[in-house]
Amino acid sequence: MATATATTRPLGPAAGRLARRHAWTGAVVTFFVLLLAWNASQTRNFGAFEIQTLLASTLPLAYLAMAQSVVVIGGGIDLSVGAMLVLINCLSARFMEGTDLRGSLLVAAGCLAVAAALGALTGLVITVSRIPDIIVTLAASFVWGGAALFVLHTPGGGTSTGFQALVLGSGSAWWPALLCLLAPLLLVWAPLRRSRTGIAVYALGSDRNAAYLSGVDPLCTRVVAYAVDGLLCGLAGLATTAFTAGGSPQSTIAMNATLNSVAAIVLGGVALSGGVGGLMGPVFAVWCLYLIPNIMLGLGVDPSYGEVVKGVVVVLVVLAGGLLRARRNRAP
Amino acid sequence: MTQAAVRDEDAAPERSLLARVAAADRPTLALIGVLVALVVANGLIDRNFLSLSQLRNTLLVTAPLALLAGGQTLCMLTGGIDLSVAMTATAAAYVTGVQSADGPAVLAIAAGLLVGVVVGLVNGLAIGVFKVNPLIMTLGMSGILTGLLTVGSQTFLGGATRMSELVLELGGGTIVGPIPWNLVVWLLLGGALVVGLRRTGLGRLIYAVGDNRVACRLAGVRIWQVETAVYTLCALLAAVAGILIGGRSGSVDLQLAGSYLLPSVAAAVIGGTSILGGIGGYTGTILGALILAVLDTMLNLLTVDEALKQVLYGCIILALSWAYARGTASA
Repeated sequence: MATATATTRPLGPAAGRLARRHAWTGAVVTFFVLLLAWNASQTRNFGAFEIQTLLASTLPLAYLAMAQSVVVIGGGIDLSVGAMLVLINCLSARFMEGTDLRGSLLVAAGCLAVAAALGALTGLVITVSRIPDIIVTLAASFVWGGAALFVLHTPGGGTSTGFQALVLGSGSAWWPALLCLLAPLLLVWAPLRRSRTGIAVYALGSDRNAAYLSGVDPLCTRVVAYAVDGLLCGLAGLATTAFTAGGSPQSTIAMNATLNSVAAIVLGGVALSGGVGGLMGPVFAVWCLYLIPNIMLGLGVDPSYGEVVKGVVVVLVVLAGGLLRARRNRAP
Repeated sequence: MTQAAVRDEDAAPERSLLARVAAADRPTLALIGVLVALVVANGLIDRNFLSLSQLRNTLLVTAPLALLAGGQTLCMLTGGIDLSVAMTATAAAYVTGVQSADGPAVLAIAAGLLVGVVVGLVNGLAIGVFKVNPLIMTLGMSGILTGLLTVGSQTFLGGATRMSELVLELGGGTIVGPIPWNLVVWLLLGGALVVGLRRTGLGRLIYAVGDNRVACRLAGVRIWQVETAVYTLCALLAAVAGILIGGRSGSVDLQLAGSYLLPSVAAAVIGGTSILGGIGGYTGTILGALILAVLDTMLNLLTVDEALKQVLYGCIILALSWAYARGTASA
């Protein structure tokens, strides 16, 4: 590892960082492929149906991990992603009940606008108030959770079957869920990352002062990052509505979702210190975290141990990453 | 008008001792002001609030939260955070409950505290020695404990969880008048925390590590020892809080302390402890915990529904920390 980076160093820090970033994503993808192969060998007739289940049931968390990545790359952290998911889930489930596909899509568009606006508002408050991200988003998580209860007092609501089929696919058709996952990546993130604002997000995450001194507008950049974060959380909420055919305003869902999103981005190679990582790594990490309990079930182990294994895996991966980084820094 | 007086003193070349104390403790004074305002507002809403029994209820709710927030304060002072406090508290209460069913109460409590020490040691060693990010380590630990408890409740920790008389008395019993037993536990541990942070070497090292980690290392401080001690103490406090919560509710389930996690961070933040480390203290956290508890009672008294309650809760945390940030920036 040390020699590999030593050879890339002459290419310049940017190329070195690029290589390292892809190395991590590559490792996660390999890990996922291994897990998938293991799971496939356990399951008889592993095929399109299992793939569809994997994609459909992880779609909300995958969106959420992407949302968390955008904020963490920009040097922040968002503890309100789960609450935002629950809020949009309740909002869409309440208004989609009894509509047809066209009505559902209209509601979905409205919900996404609300989510992006709330995200932008969070970013605005963080920049203007200069309170650390973690505190503002902690407070926001209470507000969104309360708003979700306001929209939907008890689990309920509904959606149209057309919307469910559009988002998740039906039977063994796995490509709708994959397309839905890729859509924000291709339509929002890919253009943004190449734009001035996208580069500014990375710059702000790497070194806030240096970015400010080089003319990056912190207000605008952070508002955009949080707006994209909100939009992706909104998508996660809509995916939850499609998956569960209803809304549920429970705060434990929000809490678990937030914690899982942080675990996924760390596994996916996004550094919590900011400025490093992409959006694909976390998505693969979410899939890995989904497969672990499945494999344990196949091995005949109580799947409740899955939580234990997930926790250990996350800690060990961060530990290994830290050790590698320390060795790299020690190398001449 | 007091602010004007302070400003006048600021302008003077030689500041009197009184003015310096007032300036240094201005955030604390402001917090006390907020607390008094909330208590008075509660008294106006419901005359019973100022009665002794209601005071007892408020203290009963505050003590476990203040203990959890105390551990959180220690971690935040070193620049870290402990997201596993709620699960540690639950685990300690669960183990105590199971052990109480067959065995002496003191041993059961010791077993619960041991859970806290083990969890804290693992957290602290991983963070201090192996340099795992505190957020991730404690998040992972929280997941690990959840899994272990879920499985354990059906296998090796199976059986009835019944709190012993001693724990029930500690968690919800009354000594005299409005003073519950758990207040005594809290006062002892809280007093030790306040004095320990100000007067002992470890206390000063905790601030120093949070303030400037590099300078500490260069000065020869063994940072890993400080961090291990901090996370162990934090988990131990969480275990005590968990046992008290379990004693109050009488039965233990896996969601016992889950709702305390975010308030424990919020209490420390409202009390003026910086999440970046080095600034703050336990006195502020106590006030933060009291404010949260009184606020909670107030929203209950107003019989606002859960939705509005949460929204208000979030807005008040934001408003207080915003006011605090502005106050310290101008000072």
